[in-house]
Amino acid sequence: MSGYAHPEVLVSTDWVQENLGKPGIKLIEVDVDTKAYEAGHIPGAVGFNWQTQLQDGVRRDILGKEEFETLLSQSGVSNGDTIVLYGDNNNWFAAYAFWLFKMYGHKDVRLMNGGRVKWLNENDKQMTADVTKVSPTRYTASAPDLSLRARIQDVLGALDAKNTNLVDVRSPDEFTGKVIAPPGMSETAQRGGHIPGAKSVPWATAVAPDGTFKSVEELKAIYLQNAGVDGGKPTIAYCRIGERSSHTWFALKYLLGLENVRNYDGSWTEYGSMVGLPIEK
Amino acid sequence: MNRALQVFDDILQTLPGTENPTPLVRLNRTGSTDAFPLWAKLEWFNPFGSVKDRAASFMIRELEKKGVLNGKRGVVEPTSGNTGLSLAAICAARGYPMRAIVPNKIPLEKKVLLKIAGAYLDVVNDELCPSPSGGDGSINMAKTYAKAQADRWVLPNQYENEANVLAHYHGTGPEIWNQTEGRVTHLFVSLGTCGTVTGCSRFLKERNPKVKVVAVQPTEGHDVPGLRNLGQLEVSKLFDPALIDDVLEVDFELAYERAAEIARKEGLLAGPSSGLILEGARRIVQRDAAGVGVLIFPDNVFKYVSNMSKHLPELLEGTSA
Repeated sequence: MSGYAHPEVLVSTDWVQENLGKPGIKLIEVDVDTKAYEAGHIPGAVGFNWQTQLQDGVRRDILGKEEFETLLSQSGVSNGDTIVLYGDNNNWFAAYAFWLFKMYGHKDVRLMNGGRVKWLNENDKQMTADVTKVSPTRYTASAPDLSLRARIQDVLGALDAKNTNLVDVRSPDEFTGKVIAPPGMSETAQRGGHIPGAKSVPWATAVAPDGTFKSVEELKAIYLQNAGVDGGKPTIAYCRIGERSSHTWFALKYLLGLENVRNYDGSWTEYGSMVGLPIEK
Repeated sequence: MNRALQVFDDILQTLPGTENPTPLVRLNRTGSTDAFPLWAKLEWFNPFGSVKDRAASFMIRELEKKGVLNGKRGVVEPTSGNTGLSLAAICAARGYPMRAIVPNKIPLEKKVLLKIAGAYLDVVNDELCPSPSGGDGSINMAKTYAKAQADRWVLPNQYENEANVLAHYHGTGPEIWNQTEGRVTHLFVSLGTCGTVTGCSRFLKERNPKVKVVAVQPTEGHDVPGLRNLGQLEVSKLFDPALIDDVLEVDFELAYERAAEIARKEGLLAGPSSGLILEGARRIVQRDAAGVGVLIFPDNVFKYVSNMSKHLPELLEGTSA
């Protein structure tokens, strides 16, 4: 892991194994497939459901500050805890939760490198379906750090000013507009295509065959040299609903160390449904 | 049990083997020539309707020998439907629980059949967005149950289980050898877990190294349940390229057209994977001109009414008043 700009935010499956059950370390599983946690999880981990627990229950928005505090208090998380997030699909929604934790000012939050599938396929790692017992806490969050989040007006401003890298992390078929969403996904948009000027770097480009992040040299080659992301400019990553782009946001901000990276959580389901906005195919 | 009178003590006694082979039926109007007759091995004559009964019964027998199955501890298996249905029915006959993990894209008929046979059903999205290591969602979900709830679930794992190969080495392969009286020159199969191709090929090539084994695979992005093309085969540990002489790639839409053709010209109600295999066999008849071909027809068409209608939309014309 050496060479990453912030290696402290990434832990290995072995590190998690060695630290299982230690006070002050809390494991949280967040999956795309919301049934996966119930089928089995790392002993001691609590599970968050991205559909019902990480979004505002009424309007389309991230979880509000008070709801975030309630969720973490009920999950037994204290402000001083080390949070280790992991999940399926190479940490898509674990990275999304990481982004939320950072926005609400949690100091020590980390991703388990390789995610759920790496743990699952290692013979020395245990899983359980037992319900994790938690002692409720009183968690207090900071006001959200909106410098980590891009809204539609930020994207439009970036289009006008032409001073921002736009990174589209969806599959090539979504980028070209051949499909609007991957098969089986219910969140979609009115139109297919991509934001003008966006560079196509599918999220999985950042991932090695074992599910862990590629080396810093490989990531530099992918984003900075090949895709032409200018490290001196602000960057906005987007996908369809903001979870795959959280994964890339994490790689750009914490592994490559780019200063100004935002995750556009409205992503294509917002942009591709707006009236009158320019689209490239 | 009285095999001559077809009287059995339980359904599992009807499973095939050299004493009770599945039928081998000559194809008369869809591609046989005098010099190169084609014979279809009708695997839907297995008791639960597909070739997968063979692998499922061998895998269950092996787990029974180990003494790991009982009324509270059953099997969990990733499946595109047929293996799941075989396992569910065998488990039902034996009194074991069964949990099938299936990809969302399999036909509704198979999902409902699994529930009819008493299986717990988990549907997973396998194709969210290409991932280098996320692997196969249904396999990972099945592994999760087996790892986290080992007191309740055992994973036979047809993709890695040697019993899947042995079922064909001891069953399908010898049956074909006997039924053709050793005259078989070409075996035509599709690829999924690769248990059929590996087991049959191993047996037939031991008897006659000149037997050619031809694997017919659908084009990429295909929609033929149960099959994998070479790009998807990494998951199967039973795939042994040394046992396959030719790999033919066939446009997957032809699977559906040929399945309808087999039904209409032969009276054989074969499923789409059989259609794909027939198309491959025809190409080899053209190329090699002489031989005796055996085609494994994995299952019949009843489970594929919705898929057939999707790919041959004219089937729906005139179906309502």
